[in-house]
Amino acid sequence: MNIAVTGVAPLIRLAVRRDRLFIGGWAVLLLGVCAASATATLSLYPTSSQQIAAAEAINASPALVALYGPILDTRSFGELAMTKMTVLYAVFVALLVVVVVRRHTRTEEESGRAELLAGTAMNRAAPLAAAVAEGIGVSVLSGVGAAAVDAAAGLSLAGSVLFGASWAGIGLVATGLTAAACQLSASTRTCAAVAAGALGALFVLRAVGDTSVSWLSWLSPFGWSTQLSAWSNPRWWVLLLYPVTAAGLLSAAHVLHARRDLGNGLFVARLGRAAASSRLGGVITLTGRLHATSILLWTAIVGVLGLALGAIAPTIGKLLSSPSGRSLLARIGGAGAMQDTMLAAELSIFAVVTSCFAVTVVSRSGMEEHDGRTEQVLGTATSRHRAYLATVMTAVAGATWLLLVTGVTMAVGFGAVAGNLSDGVGRVLPAVLVQLPAVWLVAALSVSAYALRSRWATAGWALLAAFFALGQLGEMLRFPTWLTGLSPFTHVPRMPVERFALAPLATMTLIAVALFAVGAVFYRRRDIG
Amino acid sequence: MSSPTPIVQVRNVVKTFGRTRALDGLDLTVSAGEVHGFLGPNGAGKSTTIRALLGMLRIDSGSMSLFGCDPWTDVVAIHRRLAYVPGDVSLWPNLSGGETIDLLLRMRGADPRSSQRSEMLERFELDPSKKGRAYSKGNRQKVALVAAFAADAELLIFDEPTSGLDPLMEEVFNQCVAERTSTGATVLLSSHILSEVDRLADRVTLIRNGRAIESGTLAELRHLRRTHLRAEIPQPFGLDLPGVHDLSIDGSVVSCTVEPAMLAGTLAELSRAGVCTLTCTPPTLEELFLDAYRGTVTAAEVGQ
Repeated sequence: MNIAVTGVAPLIRLAVRRDRLFIGGWAVLLLGVCAASATATLSLYPTSSQQIAAAEAINASPALVALYGPILDTRSFGELAMTKMTVLYAVFVALLVVVVVRRHTRTEEESGRAELLAGTAMNRAAPLAAAVAEGIGVSVLSGVGAAAVDAAAGLSLAGSVLFGASWAGIGLVATGLTAAACQLSASTRTCAAVAAGALGALFVLRAVGDTSVSWLSWLSPFGWSTQLSAWSNPRWWVLLLYPVTAAGLLSAAHVLHARRDLGNGLFVARLGRAAASSRLGGVITLTGRLHATSILLWTAIVGVLGLALGAIAPTIGKLLSSPSGRSLLARIGGAGAMQDTMLAAELSIFAVVTSCFAVTVVSRSGMEEHDGRTEQVLGTATSRHRAYLATVMTAVAGATWLLLVTGVTMAVGFGAVAGNLSDGVGRVLPAVLVQLPAVWLVAALSVSAYALRSRWATAGWALLAAFFALGQLGEMLRFPTWLTGLSPFTHVPRMPVERFALAPLATMTLIAVALFAVGAVFYRRRDIG
Repeated sequence: MSSPTPIVQVRNVVKTFGRTRALDGLDLTVSAGEVHGFLGPNGAGKSTTIRALLGMLRIDSGSMSLFGCDPWTDVVAIHRRLAYVPGDVSLWPNLSGGETIDLLLRMRGADPRSSQRSEMLERFELDPSKKGRAYSKGNRQKVALVAAFAADAELLIFDEPTSGLDPLMEEVFNQCVAERTSTGATVLLSSHILSEVDRLADRVTLIRNGRAIESGTLAELRHLRRTHLRAEIPQPFGLDLPGVHDLSIDGSVVSCTVEPAMLAGTLAELSRAGVCTLTCTPPTLEELFLDAYRGTVTAAEVGQ
């Protein structure tokens, strides 16, 4: 590739300067989960026979194999300890790269900042090259970090290094994928959807491959991460697949980039309507319209995930019928308890995921204000309260809707596999609905931060990351209760395992309502812009 | 001087952002039916004033009123009666220009169907079906201008409205402003370009460092209408005439500013002296502000 270096070095410095907190936070979270997994697996399955039983249990469940990939060597402790990390958490490495690479390519072009820089003495391809360099750097660092954390946790050194290399490899492929996707459309959001969609498709391809048509797994980088067999009898040559694929994608990105104009995509932007529909008449419908595409996408993703994860739960108890599996079940409390535990665990993750939607709505409002569009809205006969209400309504209604979709699809998935739809609905739906107050509370915290100061519109992400970390790591690392209790999600009754409890839910709802109200007052009183 | 109920009244307003004093005791009065030029260099506080008038910023002290109401508390009632075009128009990337125009009109309480939307689209030569992200700076500005002119507003507030427009479109803008004022609308027009204000404004307020330096009709601020002359003559001499200011002689080049009444006389004088090159320009903002700071110094003093 012909990447002239003029301008690349300062751009990389600029990018790292802008991203350091974000990358640092994400890395700490990922490596923390990695370390926790490595240590917790040992305390959960101290003897090798227990470890083998657990590995066999995973392999026996197509649903778990679809989610985590199979365990090739059931006697390998490293492979068991890193089951979730190898494929599922590698997705988060890939997403980090997508965010970073897009942020410095297409986002910069859409905002016009790229044009400002393009006028300086730099090579035309310099922004793309710098973003790619940062993507590669992030990938390599994630890999090195993961290897170091695993080795430090006592896993075998060679395995740790290979496992780290698989994370770095996934990051490299994601770098190439995003670089290419960002050449396609003039819209930042479309480019992100293409990149994330491609990653999703590769994940599904592997899931299908691992559970039925095995050669399909070889078509997906996520499949390579399993097939590398990092922890015993490794296939070293698989490591070559990642950089070769990445190089191919990067060349494609380079060619596409050289053929298009700054600020344009490969696809010609479609024309819009010459006049607005009669529904688009105020700030509430406007906000709804701005989020319509994203709500549709989220609905589709959450729906598919809900169906899939709902279908996993009932199979888990049945498939653990091997002698070693039975002893495992007995410890937990029987097959019914196992599927209920699974449901409760899945739902707590769904609650975090749907909260993400609420946070995106609030971040978007911050961006609207930053770009001066809120000023135009408030320059019309639109009151502050109404503008605030538009954000609150979209965040709350959207997140609530998504959780409902989760509940219904999960109940259907569960009921279909268990062969009893009404049982599915009765078991799953209440367990989903109790998550709502926690989601509302996250939305309320996020909105009131924005109401205090427009720059804090993204504070919700930090909160959500902290809550997620408390939930994921809190139990494993035995944090004190007051600390884990800071996360609203820990106060949700873990139905169907636990009983319904009104008090925490009512308290969280009341706090959320109070925060929304306080936010309204602050938003009315502060400067805009 | 001003009519009994000014549309815009700003009295001794202070607004600070941290340690910077963006507005430092600003006064501004805009009477009904006039085009008021709000003139100042970049960073003088023009946009801050406008944003405070629109209720986006909360002032620290002083008083403000629009249509006799408080712009901070009576936002909605006031905004129904005005249209605002910001200096840097940002559009929703995936809404078309036409959708944005309709949306802004409806949010002001106007009905796009009974507005002059299509006429304005034609006059500003704007394609309404492009998506927001596809418009150039000038075209983004046109979207906001069409929305502002398409429905009647009692007060039009423009923040550097022609900064992205070509001269033809600037002309269309000037016509639209003239039509609106002929039907009784009031216009507040901020700018850092004197000629723009000069063509449209009845009255002007000069602002610098958050303070109004002077305010009045263009006739009152006669120094605003002076012409800056730069002439090359074989034998330079002091143009010692009343109404000629800022005289300087550098070799064979004479430069000065001349009041409108004395322009003919000065040119005749130069022509007698055998002028070989002559450039006439309006005075720069810097010169205006220097004059304003000097206040009521006499022409003779300036000449020396």
